[in-house]
Amino acid sequence: MIRDKIVTAELEQIFRQALQDIRDASTLHDLQQVKARYLGKKSLIMALLRQLGSVPPEERPAFGKAVNEAKQKVADLIEEHQLLLQEKLYKSELAASQIDITMPGKRSGKGSLHPITLAWQEIEDIFLSMGFDIAEGPDIEDEFHNFDALNTPADHPARNLSDTFYIDNDVLLRTQTSTVQIRVMEKFKPPIRIISPGSCYRNENDASHSPMFHQVEALVVDVGVTFLQLRDVLQEFVRRMFGETIDTRFRPHYFPFTEPSAELDIRCVKCLGTGCNLCKGSGWLEMGGAGMVDPNVFQMIGIDPEKFTGYAFGLGIDRIAMVKYNIPDMRLLFENDVRFLKQFR
Amino acid sequence: MKVSYQWLQNYTDIRCSAQELADIMTFGGIEVEAVHYPGKLLKQIIIARIISKENHPDADKLSVCQVDDGQEIKQVVCGAPNCAVGQKIALAPVGCKLNEIEIKKVKIRGELSLGMICSEKELGISDNHEGIMVLPEDAPLGVDLATYLELQDIIFDTEITPNRPDLLGMIGIARDLAALRGKKFSYPLIKLQETEKSVKDVLELENHESKLCPRYTARVIEQVRVGESPDWLKKALLAVGLRPINNIVDITNFVMMEYGHPLHAFDYDRVQGNKIVVRRARAAEPFPALDDEDYELAADDLVIADTEKPIALAGVIGGRNSHITSDTVTIVLEAANFLYSSIRKTALRHNIATDSSYRFERELSAETADVASRRAASLILELAGGNLLQGKLDSYPTGYQPDCVQLRPSRVKQILSVDISDQLIRSYMERLELRYIESGPGYMVFEIPPFRQDLEREIDLIEEIMRLHGYNNLPTLLKPSKIMDRESIFSRRRVKDILVQNDFLEIINWGFGDPLDLDMLEIPENDLRRNTIALKNPLGRSFSIMRSLLLPNLLKTALFNINHGQKDLKLFELAKVYNRGDQKAAEERYQICGLLCGYQYPVYWQGKDREVDFFYVKGIVEDILEYLDLSGSETVRSSESYYLPGQAADILWQGKKIASLGRLDPKIGLKYDLNKAVYSFEINLSDILSCHRKSVPNYSEILRYPPVLRDISFIVPVKYTLADIAESIRSIDPAVIKQVQLFDEFTGKNIPEGHRSLSFNLVFNSPTKTLTDDFINGIIKLIIEMLQKEFQIEMR
Repeated sequence: MIRDKIVTAELEQIFRQALQDIRDASTLHDLQQVKARYLGKKSLIMALLRQLGSVPPEERPAFGKAVNEAKQKVADLIEEHQLLLQEKLYKSELAASQIDITMPGKRSGKGSLHPITLAWQEIEDIFLSMGFDIAEGPDIEDEFHNFDALNTPADHPARNLSDTFYIDNDVLLRTQTSTVQIRVMEKFKPPIRIISPGSCYRNENDASHSPMFHQVEALVVDVGVTFLQLRDVLQEFVRRMFGETIDTRFRPHYFPFTEPSAELDIRCVKCLGTGCNLCKGSGWLEMGGAGMVDPNVFQMIGIDPEKFTGYAFGLGIDRIAMVKYNIPDMRLLFENDVRFLKQFR
Repeated sequence: MKVSYQWLQNYTDIRCSAQELADIMTFGGIEVEAVHYPGKLLKQIIIARIISKENHPDADKLSVCQVDDGQEIKQVVCGAPNCAVGQKIALAPVGCKLNEIEIKKVKIRGELSLGMICSEKELGISDNHEGIMVLPEDAPLGVDLATYLELQDIIFDTEITPNRPDLLGMIGIARDLAALRGKKFSYPLIKLQETEKSVKDVLELENHESKLCPRYTARVIEQVRVGESPDWLKKALLAVGLRPINNIVDITNFVMMEYGHPLHAFDYDRVQGNKIVVRRARAAEPFPALDDEDYELAADDLVIADTEKPIALAGVIGGRNSHITSDTVTIVLEAANFLYSSIRKTALRHNIATDSSYRFERELSAETADVASRRAASLILELAGGNLLQGKLDSYPTGYQPDCVQLRPSRVKQILSVDISDQLIRSYMERLELRYIESGPGYMVFEIPPFRQDLEREIDLIEEIMRLHGYNNLPTLLKPSKIMDRESIFSRRRVKDILVQNDFLEIINWGFGDPLDLDMLEIPENDLRRNTIALKNPLGRSFSIMRSLLLPNLLKTALFNINHGQKDLKLFELAKVYNRGDQKAAEERYQICGLLCGYQYPVYWQGKDREVDFFYVKGIVEDILEYLDLSGSETVRSSESYYLPGQAADILWQGKKIASLGRLDPKIGLKYDLNKAVYSFEINLSDILSCHRKSVPNYSEILRYPPVLRDISFIVPVKYTLADIAESIRSIDPAVIKQVQLFDEFTGKNIPEGHRSLSFNLVFNSPTKTLTDDFINGIIKLIIEMLQKEFQIEMR
C-alpha cells in the first residue's frame, strides 16, 4: 500500500506537470516535443510502466490501471490541444492570404479586327446561314468580265480613265465585284447562290469616296427565282445586320446588267426615320443596287434566260461598317490610327 | 419476319442474287436486317453408308463403325443406339464446323474417329435427338446434305413497318417485289370441289360482337386424314421458323405465312352443340390454351366458343379443348377478322404473343379472310383428303366497299420535283393493284385494293409512286459543290483571330504601292517582287503600282502611329500582293505581314516588361504555322535584304519559302524615320493553301504507361544549332523519346568563351511497357556518348 501511494504521488506530479506543459505549448512543434516527453519510449510515464515487474503481484493491476489511465488522459489532452493549435494556425494563414482583389488581372487578346473585317465577316455569316456560298475572283480584271459581259455599252462613261484604273488597254482594276458573277456562271451551271465580297477600285478620292473600297455582290440563278425573293432576302439581311425594326424600300434605278433594276434604301439606323445628319433629314440611307439579271447577261454567258431567272445585288461593305459602327468619315477606315482601331475590340 | 427466297419464287420470277434482292427490298421500304444461308451448314455434311459396326472394346455404349462416303472408307465412333449396318447416314467429316464446334480427328477411348454421324437436331433439321438421322436407301453416297435435301434456300430477316400489314406474308412481299421490279405476279390457283351437303346442315354461327369481330367465316371438311405433312410443306415452314405439327395445322400456318392472314382449325367433334359462338368471355372464365397454360379470361376478351366453353381466344391462341389431333375426322376451318385494338389488349393482358396476334394487331383486311380460307381448304383437300361441305358460314355485316382516291399528277411533281408521266404514274399504281377508275382534267382516280387500307389520301399514293420510282433515282438539284473554297476562306479568318488573340490590331491599306519602297528595302533587281504591275492612270507616284509586298505600308502605318504618341505596336495586314506572272495575267496572292515594336505585352504590375525580340515574333509565326498544320518546316538564315542578318529567319516547307521573320535592319528603319527596334514577319498564305490543306485531327491512343522525365545539361560550342542537337537526341530512339524540350540556355560565368550551356527536359514513354530505370539509363548513356562524339559536349 505504501508503494502504491508513492507511485500515485509520483504519477500525480508527472500528470500535473504534463498538464502545465501542454497548456504552455504555443506551437504545433512545441506540442510535438511535449508528446515525446510524456508518451514517447523514454518518457516518464513509460518509465513508470516499466517498473511494473518490481511491483508485488497483488498490487500490479491497480498500479497498471493508474498509470495507463494517466497516460490516456495525457494523450487526449494533447490531441485536444493540437486541434486548437491547428485551428489557430489556419486562421492566421487565412488572414495572411488576403490580397487586393481590385488589382488588374492578366489580360490577353487586346488586339482587334478592322471594322471593315468585322462587318465583312458578319455579312458573310448572314448569307452563309441563308444558304449562299462565298465565291472569289481577281482584283485585276479584263474589260470583258468588268464591262462587256455585264452588258455595259462600249461608250459607257464608267469605262473612262477618269473613272477606272487601267493597267493595259483591256486590263483594269475591277470597279465592282459583279465580275465574279460572270466568272462563276462561266464555270458552273445553275442552281447558283453566291455572294462575292472583295476589294474594288474607282478613280476617285474624297471625303466620301476612297479609290479602294469593299463590296459584296450576290447572284442567285435557278428555276423560279423572282423579284419578290430578291426583296425578301435583302429585307432579311438588313434585319439581321441592323436590327429587326429597320425597314427597306426599293427605288427604280438603272444598271446595265439588271432589268428591272432598283436601289435599296434602309430606314436610317440613327434616327429611325425622323431625320438626322446621317440621313441628311430624309430618314432613309442608300445601301446598294439590286435587280433581276438582264436576259442579255444570261445569253452572253450561255444560260437559257427562258428557263432560268436570277437576281443580283451589290452592297458596300465599308458603307455598312460606317453605318453600323457610326463612323463619320471614310478616311478613318484607311488611316489605321491605332486609337481608332482599338475601338473595335 | 423471315422471308424465304424459294417461297417467293412461287408467285413472281425473282432471278437475281440474294444481295440484289435484299437491296431491292430495303430500298423499296422492306428493310432487310440480315441474310441467312441455312444450307451453309448442311453443305458440309456428306451422305455415307455404315458398312460395318463393332462394339467399342473399351466403352459399352459406343460402337466403332466403318463408313463409306463414296470416296473412301473411314472409321467413326458413334454413340447412338439406332445406328446399324447398311444405313445411309449424315456424316460430318473432319474439318467441318457444326454449331461452333469443329470436327477433329480424335481418339475416343483409344479408337480413332474421323468424323461424326449426326442426329437431326445436330443438323438443325428438327428437334429429334433420338439417335442418328437415317436417310432413305436411295440417298446418293458422297452428295452433300444441302443438295440432297434441296436446302438451297436463302432467308431474309425483314422488318415490316406497322403501316404495312399486307407485307406480313410471302404473297405480300412477292407482290411488292414484282411491283418494284416491274415483273409479273400471280396468285396461287385455288380449286374447290364441294359436296352437295351444306355446311349449314352441320354447323351454326352466332356472332354477338360484330364490332370486335367484323367478319367470321367457317368451312367444314369431313373425313380428313390427319398425318405428317409432305416434305415441301415441312421445309417451307421450317424455312420461316415454324415447327411442323400435322398436315392440318401445318396448312393453316402455311396459309398464314403465305397470305399474312392467320387461320385456325377446330376438331368439329369437340365443338359442343354444333355451334360457333363469337362472344365476350365471362369474367374469370377458364380457358385451356394450346401453349399448355390455363388462362383466366376477362370480360373484355373476345372468344370463339361453342355452346358451353371458349374454344379459342380470338385471334390470339387456340384451345386444348378443340384442337386438331390424330383422331380428328372433321374440321372446322376458321378465317376471321378481329378488331386490332381488342386483340392487342387481350394479348397484352395475358402476355401472349403469337404469329396470329402479331398479325391481327396490325389491322388485317376482312376481304383476305375468305381468300385465305379457300386456299387452306384446297390444300387440305389436296394433302389430307376429305370432303368440303358446300358453302361457308359468313358473318360479315358491314360487307366491303372499296375506297377510291383521287390523284393529281401536278401534285406529284409539286412534292417530288420530278416529272413522272401520267402513263408511268398509272403503271406504278396498277402494279400495286390499284385499279384505274377514271381521269379528268388534271386528276386520276384509283380504287384501293382491300389489302392496302394504309392508302387513304393522295399523299399516300404519292409516297407509293416515289417508292416505286426509287428514292435514289432522282436528279440532284443541289448547287455545284466546288464554288466555295471553305478552307481557304476560314483559314484566313482563323489566322486573323490568332493574331488578334496575340494583341495585334488589324490594319487595311489601299492595294497600291510605291516603286520607291522596293529600292528603300533594297529588294534585289532580279527579285519577283520587282516585277510589278503599273497603273496607266495612278493617283500619283506613291500609288503608281499594285503592291508586291505589304511591309512598306506597315512601316508607314507604324511611323504614323509613333508620331501620334504610340510606343508599343503590334499591327498586321492580311491582303493580296500582286506581280506580273509568267503569262499576261497578274498573280494575286494572299500574304500576312506583321509589325512589332516596343513591349511584348502592355505594362503589367506583375513580372518584368520585356521588349519584343526575335523569339517572341518566332512564337507567333509558329502558332500560325502550327494551325496551318505545317509540321516539319525548316528554319534557315534569311536571305531577305531588309532584316538584320544575324536575327532573321526564312521558314521553308518542302524546300519552298513560306514565311520569313526578323528584326528590321536599323539602317533601313532609319530610311523610314523609325529609330527603334522594329520586328516584322511575312507569311505567304496563298502559297501554303495552294499546296497544303490542314488534315483532320486523328485520335491516337493515349499511352497507358506513365511517362518518365529526365533532365540533361551540358556545355556545347555555339557553332552547333539547337535544332541539330535536339534532332540528334530524338533520333537515338524516336519510339520512346517523346519530347526534347529546351528549358535553359546560359552563357557567361563558368562557361568557356565560344560555348553555351543548354538544359533539356527529356520525356520518355512507351506504348507497350513501363520503362525501367535501367532502360532509361541505357538510353541516356547512348545520348551522352553521341553528344560527346558529334557535338563535343561536356556534361555539367
